[in-house]
Parts: sequence; C-alpha cells; structure tokens
Amino acid sequence: MAKVQPAIISSGFSEHASKRSDVNMAELVNEAVENCIQMANIDWKDIDFVINGNMPAFEGANMPELWMGDHIAAKNKPMLRVTTGGTTGGSVTIAGYYAVASGLYETVLAIGFEQQSCGDTAIGLASVALGEVTIYPDVGYDFARMRSNLGAGAAIGVASYQAMNYMARSKATEEDLARVVVQNRRNAAKTWWTHLKMPTITIEDVLDTPYISYPLRFGMVCPATDGACAILYTTEEKARQIADIPVYVNGVASVANEPAILAPNMGGAGQVDPCEQLGAMKSAELAYGQAGISFPNKEIDYVEVYSPFPNQELMWVERLGLFEENMAPEAYRNGITAWNGELPVNCSGGVNSTNAIGASAMERPAEAALQIMGKASNQVPKTVHTAMGHGWGGAINFITHVVMSDEPQRKWR
Amino acid sequence: MEKVGIVGYYQVKPDLDAMMSPPEMIFNAVRGALDSAGLKRKDISTVIGCTNDYYDGKTISNAFKVDAGGAYMKDESKVEFDGAHAALYGVFRILSGNHKLAMIYGYSMPSCFNYEAVRILELDPTFDRTVSLLNSYSAGGMQMRAYMKKFNVSLEDIAKVAVNSIKNAAKNPSALPEAQRSDISVGDVLESEILCSPLRKLMYPILCDGTAAIILAPEKQSLKITDNPVWITGVGNCQDTYYLGERDLSISTSMEIAANKAYKIAGINDPKKEIDIAEIFGHTTCEDLILAEAAGLCEKGNGTSLLDGGPALNPSGGTMSGLTPCVCGLTRIIEAVKQLRGEATGYQISGAKKAVATGQVGFCAQNNILYVLEGGGN
Repeated sequence: MAKVQPAIISSGFSEHASKRSDVNMAELVNEAVENCIQMANIDWKDIDFVINGNMPAFEGANMPELWMGDHIAAKNKPMLRVTTGGTTGGSVTIAGYYAVASGLYETVLAIGFEQQSCGDTAIGLASVALGEVTIYPDVGYDFARMRSNLGAGAAIGVASYQAMNYMARSKATEEDLARVVVQNRRNAAKTWWTHLKMPTITIEDVLDTPYISYPLRFGMVCPATDGACAILYTTEEKARQIADIPVYVNGVASVANEPAILAPNMGGAGQVDPCEQLGAMKSAELAYGQAGISFPNKEIDYVEVYSPFPNQELMWVERLGLFEENMAPEAYRNGITAWNGELPVNCSGGVNSTNAIGASAMERPAEAALQIMGKASNQVPKTVHTAMGHGWGGAINFITHVVMSDEPQRKWR
Repeated sequence: MEKVGIVGYYQVKPDLDAMMSPPEMIFNAVRGALDSAGLKRKDISTVIGCTNDYYDGKTISNAFKVDAGGAYMKDESKVEFDGAHAALYGVFRILSGNHKLAMIYGYSMPSCFNYEAVRILELDPTFDRTVSLLNSYSAGGMQMRAYMKKFNVSLEDIAKVAVNSIKNAAKNPSALPEAQRSDISVGDVLESEILCSPLRKLMYPILCDGTAAIILAPEKQSLKITDNPVWITGVGNCQDTYYLGERDLSISTSMEIAANKAYKIAGINDPKKEIDIAEIFGHTTCEDLILAEAAGLCEKGNGTSLLDGGPALNPSGGTMSGLTPCVCGLTRIIEAVKQLRGEATGYQISGAKKAVATGQVGFCAQNNILYVLEGGGN
C-alpha cells in the first residue's frame, strides 16, 4: 500500500483525427495539457513533475519532450520519459502514480501522445514482428528469409492468431466480434474527442467489409489516430481541496510476460497461445490485491480495456477477472456490457474507435476517472464507484492495469 | 525522504565492440548485480530498464529484453532518458512502499549505431534538424567557447582537467582500455584533433558498448541484505529550455535547480565542504566543470580549482573513462558507490563519506539529475 495516497483530479484530451496536420507535435500535446489543467482549475506553476511518453519510432523523433518541454508546462521542472510501446500511456499513468506515492512530488502531470500521420506506423511495427533479430544469424536465418517474415504484418498479424485462438476456445463467431465493434463505434459517437464516430453502424455493415487477415475484417480494425491525453495527479489532501470528486488510484501493476514473437517461425517462445495471457492475469492479481478488491466481477462498476481488435475486448474482460472464461460473448449478446448495462465496457468507444498509440493506454484510465467524477461525455446512467483502466503492448507481453475508486484505500487492510 | 539503499551493482566491462548480443549484455549485468548482493531472481519485485529504441534500431526494443533483464512476470517498466533517470523511477517505486527490491539496468551498444548521427533525431524536427548545424561536437564547442569567454578560463586550464580525468581513468580497472593513458600531457590534449573549435578530441569521451545494473531497496531490507549499503539521501531532477540560444551555456540552470532540490532533501548546507566525491556526467571536459559548478561544488567559473582541493572531481575518470549512452549515469552512481564502500581498488579516495553522482540527457546537458549518496556501515 502506497504511503502517500495519489489521486487523479482531472484528465484532458486533444481533438483526435487521422491527420492533425493543423498542429505539430508540441501543439497537439499542448491541447491535451491545456484541457487537463483547465478542468482542474490550477496554474501551470503548480505542477511539480512532468512525465511524458509516446511510441518512440513512429514520428521519427527521439525523445521529443526535450524540445517540446516548454509547450507542456515542463520548463525548469523535473521531467521523465517513460515508453513501453503500446502500453506507453499506461506506463506513464503508473509512473505518475509512483511519483506522487513516493512522497517526493505533490502535483504530477502525466502525458501520452501520438501523431501517427508524421510517420509510418506499419514500418515502425514491422521490426517488432521480426522479434529479436540478433538470434537470426545464430540459427542460420539469412536476411532475405527474415524479410519474408514481414508477411506476418504488424499488429494485425499477431492479432489474427490471437483471434483464432480465442474463437477456438470460446466458440465465439464473427458476428460476436462485429457486435463488439458496433457497441464501441456507437459509444464513440457520443464522446467528443474520439476518431471513428459511427452512430448508425450495424453488425451487417461490419460483416460486409473485406477481410484484412482472417477472422478480422476491415470494419473491425482500429484506425491510426493523431491525439494526446493528459492526467493530473496530486496527493489525497490537495485533491480534496481542488476536486469535487477526487479519483483515488488504489492499485497499479505492469507485469511483463516473455515476448510472444521470438522464434523465426513466428510461433513464439514459451507463449504458444497468445490469448492465454498469464501476464494479464498476474497483473490483475497484483493490482486488485493492492486495491483490496477480492471479487472484481462484483466490485468493479466500469471498465475500459485496450482493444484495437474486437476479439481482444472479449478476451481481456475475461482474463482480467470480470467474466468467467469464455462467457464474454454471451455477456455482449445480453447487453450486460452496454452503456446502460450492469458492467459498462468502453463507453468512450475504446481503442477500436480511436487509437493514438502512445495515448491509448492512458485514455483508458483517464476516461474511467471521468466516469467516476461524473464528467464523461458518454456518462453511464449508473453511479460508478470503482473503475479499471487497462493497456497492452510490446510483443503482446506488456500489460498495464490501473484500479481507481472514489474512496481512498481503506487503511485497515 | 526516507533513505533508499543501493545494495548491489555490476558493470559489464566496457568495450569498443563487445561482440555480444543485447540480451547477453543485459543478462550479464543483471546476473552480476544479483550475485554481488547475494540475491536470487525471485527476490526482485520490480525492474526498470533504460534503453533507447533509436539506439537499438528497433521499435519497442525493451519488449525483447524482458527475460534477460530478469523481468519475466515482474512489475516492469522502462525509462528512455539516462540510466540515472531510470534509477529515479526505481527510487519512486521503492519509496511508495509497493516494492521491496528494484533492479535498474541501462544498456546500449554504440558499436552498432553512429551515436553522433542518431543524436540528430533528438533535435526539433522543424528547424534544427533541417538546418543540421547542431550536433554533439558543435554544441560542445559553443558551450566551451561561452564558458571560456565568460569566466576568462584558458584552453590550458581545461586541458589540465582533461588530463586529470584521463589519468584517473588509467587507474580505474573498469574503464575502457582504449581510454586509459597514464602518460598523457597537457600538450597531447591541446595538439589533438579539433572537433569543433575550441573543443579538442581528447576533451571528448570515447563511445563504447556497456551495460550496468544496480539494485535498490528500502532502508530495512537494505540492512538485511548487506552490512555495507550506500544510501540515496537526496535526488533532484530538472529540465532546461531546449533552444541553446535561450540558455546561458556557460552555466547550467537545470543542474542548479536539481542540485538545490537534492541538497535540500539530503540536508546538505555547504556542498563544497560536505561532499567528498563528485562523479559528474559531462559530455565534454568543459561540461564537467560547468555541471560541477552548478552543483555548488565550487564557485562559478572556478571549476579548475577542484584539481587542487575540495570534492574529488571524477576519481573514476568520469566520462573520459568511456561513455555509453543510457548507461553513463548509472556508471557514475556505481563509481560513487564503490568509493563510499571502499571498493575502488587502485583509485580509492580515503575517508569518503558523501558523494554526488549526476546523469543527463539532451544537448548541452538540458535535463540533469543529481543524487546525493552517503556511505553506510563503516
């Protein structure tokens, strides 16, 4: 249990779109920071520590916060860069938590952003699909054959394996996948900052699009987005003065599994089944343990999971202990996860509708915090006391998990 | 701040071309650190790595270093500045009370990439990168010119500091062999190639492959693990503005703010008298002086006086013993720890009680971090 209780007092977003060519990176991030600071109604001077992160290789800029610093409230302030691939946003969120929990800094600004239109994401990700290149020469694998492995594609290549495995386990159908997409895109239409807003989309529309990699269709895949997100943390005492409803972060975990793509045949090393997700289960165990949650399926009121592909949304809600194994498709069919359901999932539209990679894993806890504060665009009708934001990344081996509540951690635990 | 203990450390011997794969390099450092503390992998509760995707030539390169770094099924994260910044995140995690043992490692292999060329990608993409006038050498040259002019310091004085560092490196067994020259003179430094006037080649470090790891633990656990822990009693970090034209290059505002914060936490009033060892990470010899002055170890413009007395400046040779990006800040911490534990065989400063170690990132030391370290047991 953290010695100092960190609390989220506000979260801010920039406008998200496929090409934000009207702004440069610093201006894009500044939009989110301004939005965040305005909501908290504090001064730039009050920020003690700034943590930033984005996917390093996507914009072709190494450590951009060095030259962006002055635009994001970081001049003459301590600054840290935390990047872990897809989970960057989540890792920055967790780093912000620790900066406050350490007792060294009071008010901490955490930022995640991505301006994917500045570079080529698929090229950036291709080197991830290749695994650890240094082992190839050792096993007699030449460059030409190595290049042919790019056929596995970037994220979609990995995700389709995962989707097939999940469908085989749970007997989920393509229609089940499309149902997740419809729920997400319709939710996105009600949130101001999202990218793919489709208020009238139907399951037939999704199933009418061509396959990209079986079983994933064009209509099921996340977009590539430009956008930024920021979260403002402070201590419990200060949060009570500033915010109406401070959101206390009670459990965080970011457990690393071994990389799923390592062997030359793309089979993975020990992680044979990419939908098994031992790391996610361990992460959930740690974070729920810290937050004192014994029955996540009963105690958690609102969930934001990181699911660029619909099969992942079904998989994550199971692996994170919110539904029994293989029961998620049925829950979606029954509307349990809908906006007005018992356990609303991804009411912001999720990563499936908006994917600014470095920001995505931060938008999950940021949106979950807004739901607890009652300030989300697509506010759920039920009262949210406890919520959870999740992220995945790396070579499907990184997980970030943030559990938050409107009550500070109970001290007697 | 509560004390955080450094209970174990390990440096993989630096090499111009290490002929090892990245996971091997990291494994050796992490294994070595665990052995030095007499611990096992299962004891680690969190791992913070410091690597850089551009230096590794690979997106999310840290995803493939999980197993080598001992992070399998552990709470793991990565910092992308300097190793010393990764250690700051480790300190956060230990101080929060959520973790009892943090492994911090840094890694990069400049034999596989051109550091000076890759550094261009750190520049602001709209102006500085397209104009392409700024690089490690030109930034170092401008900074040195500004320093010499403002404080009326001669080239010979700075060369003397370089000679001192290189001679120190010659005594340090964990320095890069190519950087060890005990027979060097001021004349050699002044006559070496001009990188960017007035910066000479022998005032600029040699880049080398390397890995280093340290283990952090809270006070109580540290005392159980070792009789001789070194305590982190203060830490400060600060980032300056980016444009060199907006900064006074002859001083370092960010280091001043960082050092003041660290001294305040550690309860140090007069660093000139209280600090015995200064392990400074400067990209050039001149930057060593600027940072040491900003850290309050001597008067401004009077950095060369550190050769005659006061805190010992870079007894390990500092960056002149070999510079590995992402690792150098950790190496500085480790060298300070060796001095405080009395393990710096051959270059031990007797009676060392308190030390500072710094890390940095960015052109002309834009983002600085400073640790105050104190000896423990004996």
